[in-house]
Amino acid sequence: MLDAAAGGEYHDMSVTEPGPVGSKLTAVLAAARAELTADVRRGAGGRAALERYSDRVDAMLRQLVAAGGPSEDVAIVALGGYGRRHLCLHSDIDLLVLFGGRIGAAEEQFLRAFLHPLWDIGVVVGHQVRELDDFRTLEADNPEFLLALLDARPVAGARVLFDRFNSLFHTPETHAHILTSLLQLIEERHSRFNATLYQLEPDVKESPGALRDLAATRTIALLTDPLLLRRGPADPARFDDAEDFLLRVRSALHLETDRNLNVLSHELQERTSDLLGYPGTEPRQRVERLMSDYFRNARIVSRSLEWARKTAPAPVGPNLGLSRDGIRFLDPIQAARDPSMWIAAFQAAIDGNTEVTEEALSCIQQHVDRYRADDFFPDEASRKALLRLLRPRAGLYARLSEMHDCGLLGRVFPEFQAISWRVVRDFYHKYTVDEHTLLTIRSLEQLSTTTDPYRQRLRNVLNELAEPELLVLSLLLHDVGKWRDDDHAIESVRMARDVVDRLHLPDDARDTVLFLIRHHLRMSLIAFRRDTEDPDIVKDFAAFIGTEQRLKMLTLLTLADVQAVSPETLTPWKEELLWRLYVDTYNHLTQRYGDERIERSQAGVDDLLAQCPPDLDAQEITRFLEGLPQRYLQLFPHEAIYRHVRLARGIQPDEVHLSIERQDSSVWTLAVATLDKPYLFSNICGVLSSFGMNIIRGHALTNPSGLVLDVFQFTDDERFLELNGDAQQRLLHVLENVVAGREELAPRLRGRERGALAMRSGMRFPPVVRADNEASSRYTILDIVATNALGLLYRISRVISRHGCDVDLVLIATEGEKAIDVFHITKGGSKLTESEQQELTTDLLRILEETQ
Amino acid sequence: MKMIKSIIRPNKVDDVKDALAKLNIAGMTVTEVRGHGKQKGHTAIYRGKEYNVSLLPKMEIEVVVPDSLADDAIKAIVTAARTGEIGDGRVFVMPVQESYRIRTGEREA
Repeated sequence: MLDAAAGGEYHDMSVTEPGPVGSKLTAVLAAARAELTADVRRGAGGRAALERYSDRVDAMLRQLVAAGGPSEDVAIVALGGYGRRHLCLHSDIDLLVLFGGRIGAAEEQFLRAFLHPLWDIGVVVGHQVRELDDFRTLEADNPEFLLALLDARPVAGARVLFDRFNSLFHTPETHAHILTSLLQLIEERHSRFNATLYQLEPDVKESPGALRDLAATRTIALLTDPLLLRRGPADPARFDDAEDFLLRVRSALHLETDRNLNVLSHELQERTSDLLGYPGTEPRQRVERLMSDYFRNARIVSRSLEWARKTAPAPVGPNLGLSRDGIRFLDPIQAARDPSMWIAAFQAAIDGNTEVTEEALSCIQQHVDRYRADDFFPDEASRKALLRLLRPRAGLYARLSEMHDCGLLGRVFPEFQAISWRVVRDFYHKYTVDEHTLLTIRSLEQLSTTTDPYRQRLRNVLNELAEPELLVLSLLLHDVGKWRDDDHAIESVRMARDVVDRLHLPDDARDTVLFLIRHHLRMSLIAFRRDTEDPDIVKDFAAFIGTEQRLKMLTLLTLADVQAVSPETLTPWKEELLWRLYVDTYNHLTQRYGDERIERSQAGVDDLLAQCPPDLDAQEITRFLEGLPQRYLQLFPHEAIYRHVRLARGIQPDEVHLSIERQDSSVWTLAVATLDKPYLFSNICGVLSSFGMNIIRGHALTNPSGLVLDVFQFTDDERFLELNGDAQQRLLHVLENVVAGREELAPRLRGRERGALAMRSGMRFPPVVRADNEASSRYTILDIVATNALGLLYRISRVISRHGCDVDLVLIATEGEKAIDVFHITKGGSKLTESEQQELTTDLLRILEETQ
Repeated sequence: MKMIKSIIRPNKVDDVKDALAKLNIAGMTVTEVRGHGKQKGHTAIYRGKEYNVSLLPKMEIEVVVPDSLADDAIKAIVTAARTGEIGDGRVFVMPVQESYRIRTGEREA
């Protein structure tokens, strides 16, 4: 029964004299009930009789509404069983009184005029009163009402209002919510009956296998797959017969008890079997026949419901369901109209380790030509969703192939369509260009899940990528220029530029993708055709590639590209050559960059000066840059470099200049400029840790005149910066005090470190500490790999400072749970002696092992 | 006839092929191989951890030439593949008794 509370405030309990309308209604209702009673007495109180009775009640309500005068802005809607036209003799009449506008005095008057006569003639009305706008938000806490609304049927009043309600109410989100609630309600109801249909005194409405289960089965099909029951365990005709039987029994119970009672008790079983005309000389025989019919029909309902629960697609997103054959659109008509949700279907398939169903693929194929690329990702969220889809993981190749086959991939990326079935004749490639491209992605996907011990090193590189989706995007576009016959890498970049524009990629991501596409052949050329034992070859390649992230991406892109040429192309031999070039270049990038300093004539400086903003001059910029590692120019975009120059402007001893910016929703960037002094790096790291900041990436740079520039990216898990308006000032204040020696850091850190140690995650790596005097001409290089933890950098750098070493450059990286830090250090201006190295590494290892 | 088997640096394959082509030696078999000679591999370091590179990627080129061309071919290979560093590779020369052309069954002395 429906909750009538919402309508409660409109009740007017004052007794009114039955007017002429009331008398007429009484007569109409009495006639309808007499007709139904006669049907039930003949044992024919099934579906047909109940539909006739419902129609008569409809007519009565229409009369009542008409008597109340014009009703343009109200609709009377039948709900639940009445909506299904299964009204029994004593069923409540469940109604929605729907107003188009705000409910005011006139509407309240209408309600009184409508409801009072019904109450007067003894009808039990379960009514809900709503304004149309109420349906703009989902009444998530009222699942029974939502379920009843699925059976909504217009009875009287404005039909157009009902249509507007329909379009507001029937959304994929609402349907998904109702389905989830319904499944839960079924569980709860069944548990009240010990989850068995074989009750000696069954409730023909509520018991397992009874009328509610029957309606629930139909509802599940309606919400998921309207054709579901055709494939069910029972012939649809037998399912309908079961319904007719249960309704006939329920009608008989209402007649026999003269009330809304649905339990087929022992006593009522005898009377019902008589009424339904069961043969048998003894009452016991008649009852047994009735009950055997009951259980047979209840079992049909029960099995159908079980089938529907198991087979119906589980909602996995707006308008998306997971069924046994994969991801389907719950409402294909809606799906055809909204292409932005198509990508979500493929994402759901990858997440659920399944496919997109043939029906969904045909739906896309049928409608895909109506849409342009932008229609698939109209907003920021859908652009992000598209990039998320491209993360390498099991199933990506298969889903992209499905997207390609149904025409979606070529619509989302028209550039890719240009190489569809494209044949390029050469000695190496075995597949069309589009398939070669997709196979590169499969190669990456296989690497992401490989258990081959030999390939773990490359799998680790893949796992370490911050944005692997950019690599997949680059792979997807690396050969699109092959639609033409000349230099395809240049043409691919030209075409890819449109894609990165449409996706609104941030500048650095955009540059990375275009770089990878432009130079996708470079690394294989060097690895397989150049003497990689020549340090100059590696040095040039490192200078060309610039950063470790790009190196990792190009290594994997090269690997995937070679592997997708043919099954024989990527030999262990080639993989080894590629790996060696990767390692040599990685070592060069992380260990030797301190040897290469920026000079006046440095390439890239001219550009920086040419685009110099009005508040800076060339002299100030060159003074700032001179003596910093050359890599600085590759690590930071121009805008950031200008910011750093401003930060370093006029800096005095003990002064700390800093800027904090939010990079994205979780990562912040802090730039600190100050003059070098003992324990400086350690103090800065310590202050950040004392505010709960988790440093994930960073660079600490020193120029020969003692200017220190530290740039950290960190997460602020406690949201200190977000929640405190004066957070930056507080951070700066503490930093200045600590750097100037006015405040002790240890007490600030003590409590926090205790907390952090207690909360450490389960992943542990044995720490690696290695000092090396060979890699760099100026520095002792200290490679440290350890489990990441709050305050880790502080602890490491403190030990280094305690050993009297100067920290000149630091490269900080975090890959998953692993912290990878490379320190460039000196002691008294020189590299460390072997014994000094030994003492330092032993001390560091001890500290790391103690705190890990 | 002589079979000349050269183990060379991977990046020297094109130079060696070009040098042999100048002598009109076009037929050859090129194989990716791994091994070590005196070079014996070396220790590489990745992220503070050492690992051994004991078998180094090399290329093997096999050609069969008439006795009269053998000396020139060997010289061409050695010149083209040479860097002067350890790891330049080796050239092996073996006599070939007879050879047959599979398509025609024809014997070549």
